[in-house]
Amino acid sequence: MAVQQGTRLDRLLRPVHRWVWGSFDRRVRKLIAFSQVEGDGGRDILRAAELTPDPLLRRLYLEHAIDELRHADLFRRRSAALLRLRSTRSTALFDSSPLPGGHGLDDLSIEGEPDHRLLAFLHVAEKAAAGRFAIYRDVVADDPPTRAIFEEILRDEVFHMNYTYTQLARVLPESYRRRVWQARASRLWKRYLRLAAAVADVLGSVLLTVVYFVALAPFAWLAKRAERREAAGWKPIAQRDNEPSASQY
Amino acid sequence: MKVLGISAHYHDSAAALVIDGVPACAVQEERLSRRKNDAAFPLGAIEWCLDHAGLEPRDLDAVVFYERSMRKFDRILTSALRTFPHSWRSFPHAIKNSLGEKVWVRGIISSQLGVPRSKILFTGHHQSHAAAGFLTAPTSRAAILTADGVGEWATLTVGQGERCPGRGASITLRREIRYPHSLGMLYSTFTAFLGFAVNEDEYKVMGLAAYGRPTMTDAVRKLIRSTPDGAFALDMKYFEYQTTARQSYSPRFVELFGRPRNPYEPIDLETADGRRYADCAASVQAVLEDTLVDITRALHRETGLPDLCLSGGVALNGVANARILAESGFERVFVPSAPGDAGCALGAALYADRVFLGNPDRDVPDHPFWGPAVDSRELAQAAREDDQVVEELDDAVLVERIADQLAAGRIVGWMDGASEFGPRALGHRSILAAPHSREMRDRLNRDIKYREEFRPFAPVAPAEVADRYFDLPPGGSRLARFMSGVFPVRPEWRSRLAAITHVDGSARLQTLERGMAPRLYQLLEAYGRRTGIPVLLNTSFNVAGEPIVNRALEGYSTFRRCGIDVLVAGSTLVTKRASPAHRVKEEVA
Repeated sequence: MAVQQGTRLDRLLRPVHRWVWGSFDRRVRKLIAFSQVEGDGGRDILRAAELTPDPLLRRLYLEHAIDELRHADLFRRRSAALLRLRSTRSTALFDSSPLPGGHGLDDLSIEGEPDHRLLAFLHVAEKAAAGRFAIYRDVVADDPPTRAIFEEILRDEVFHMNYTYTQLARVLPESYRRRVWQARASRLWKRYLRLAAAVADVLGSVLLTVVYFVALAPFAWLAKRAERREAAGWKPIAQRDNEPSASQY
Repeated sequence: MKVLGISAHYHDSAAALVIDGVPACAVQEERLSRRKNDAAFPLGAIEWCLDHAGLEPRDLDAVVFYERSMRKFDRILTSALRTFPHSWRSFPHAIKNSLGEKVWVRGIISSQLGVPRSKILFTGHHQSHAAAGFLTAPTSRAAILTADGVGEWATLTVGQGERCPGRGASITLRREIRYPHSLGMLYSTFTAFLGFAVNEDEYKVMGLAAYGRPTMTDAVRKLIRSTPDGAFALDMKYFEYQTTARQSYSPRFVELFGRPRNPYEPIDLETADGRRYADCAASVQAVLEDTLVDITRALHRETGLPDLCLSGGVALNGVANARILAESGFERVFVPSAPGDAGCALGAALYADRVFLGNPDRDVPDHPFWGPAVDSRELAQAAREDDQVVEELDDAVLVERIADQLAAGRIVGWMDGASEFGPRALGHRSILAAPHSREMRDRLNRDIKYREEFRPFAPVAPAEVADRYFDLPPGGSRLARFMSGVFPVRPEWRSRLAAITHVDGSARLQTLERGMAPRLYQLLEAYGRRTGIPVLLNTSFNVAGEPIVNRALEGYSTFRRCGIDVLVAGSTLVTKRASPAHRVKEEVA
């Protein structure tokens, strides 16, 4: 199975990717984010290896997990090497990245998932990641060590894409193609849910911030006054507080 | 009577089951979910505890949650009000976090387990810590000190416990220091400043401290002052943890201690920045120790008791614990195997059993092995399917074989019986190795643990001979039972115990009695016969970022992807075959 250069959207966004990777700080940030995402992905797949009843899949998942953990290490080492080249003082560099990562937008659920669903999911996720990595490889042409990492990872991704597909066909010969489509749909649905949750989170924050400034001011004055009257140091503990009870307060 | 204890929602959730006054089992959720420091409601741990005891939720007499969630919410809200308007960023997050799940504990327990709400009880956070420390310790009367980041309001409490065999037990916490004044938060702020993960990597600060000199204690003392009544107070202008979740130290803190460490920047002790970080760690460590010693000295004078039970996350600081033992006046210091929040599940269950339900006090077995047992057949099957060398051996033969392997410089993954409850591997889920050379330490750091070079490894030695190699004060062997104290390696042995001797000549020793882990004890004896030194390097069976392994399969997957040479689970021994990795890829390619 050949690696395609990302989705059509990714290809259209190639100038944006070039801009993202063109900055030293953003490049380091992306590499660190990839390291974390690959590491988390590796641990998830490791969990799949520990849970699957299928001996062949156990061995394949294990090799896959080892690859992912190695990728995490490659990204981590490269980001550390770049940092050594130019010590940065920007703490903002290490805030969570808003940029899409290798498998960063995918939720991998392991516990209780049948192998066929996991394989379909992995296949779709690996294919998408490989496409994106192919674009990244091209836009970091000015940085041969980073490019070499993407090339190495892409070789592994081809194996991951292939084995997940062939094993899916083995464990679910009658409907494996349908499973792949379902995995794609499920991925889109999860993205929608994540977006909806993020929007709800922002709305909740805005509402609570309004409440904070509008409703809390008088209570804040009372709380501050009470605090000023409170001496520092030991506070006695009331005997009733030593009793367990049915009260949460 | 059957009492289930639960801790959850902040870090390190766990469940523990007490039947007729004695723990039946206890496990941290992370060991089952495989998410390090899993703080989720511990449904997996609860299910495992009930299955292990053959119980249904309806069989439980009480379910006890380890803290009073509404009182905690009160503290969160009050703190936001007190720091108005600076807390505007953290307020929405804190409220969503609390109202989303954390305050509805009774409803969550009731709906998840299907138990009547009348059976659900609550203890205070520090009561749970106190009970975890006191009711599991082999003492009938003891002073108690609990210290952590924060519970509901309390961050440190002192009190006293008394057990009357055949009758009940009492724990009376007399006074407390309240949030925001917190030794745990002070240490965590430095943990963050030094680029480590808060609530997880505090022990790295302790390890780093040995490389530095406490040259900045005056600066640290600007942050924390003693109060006239013998307590302490933090100067909050140096901290921001009350107003934002993003950063715990303020710009003034940075003015005092310099640029914070970037988490991805390796600590190079050859550079000025590297030395400054180490000095910061040494300074906060020294101030923490001094403060704890002052408080425990006063507590000893007040109670006149010979025993002290320490609990709470701060009790994981083995260097401070050893100083408390040496300088506070207490003859014995007890720290449970799980002094952090996970241990509160067991503490809450024991406390409710003794105090709320009034059941007679019973001695609690003095070991940490309350978790799931390892299944050696599971390992044998997986390893055979993977074409590894698998042998089933008698105990005696297996112990001799492993001793040979260790003496030959091989690294052994060791799984035996029920897993430990708490953060330390105490001989049932351990990686064992020869303790003699620095090369072994470097190999473990490089090929297995993937961790910073400055972090030391711990030794395990038979309790009867530990004093020969380590300079143990009276009571030191007890403190080392659950690896809770750091003690000097005797100078004449340091060169022969180089892999476990820290840069300052100390080691976080585990002393092992034969009854606690008989097979590991036999292994130490067998190793001693070969090398003349019955001491092994004992580190937790996991790699960086993962919880300690639980099942045999988790041990096997760890064995397969790191530099462990030999894996043991019960009577099964697996020897790593060179590179079966590519075969499976070729097979399916």
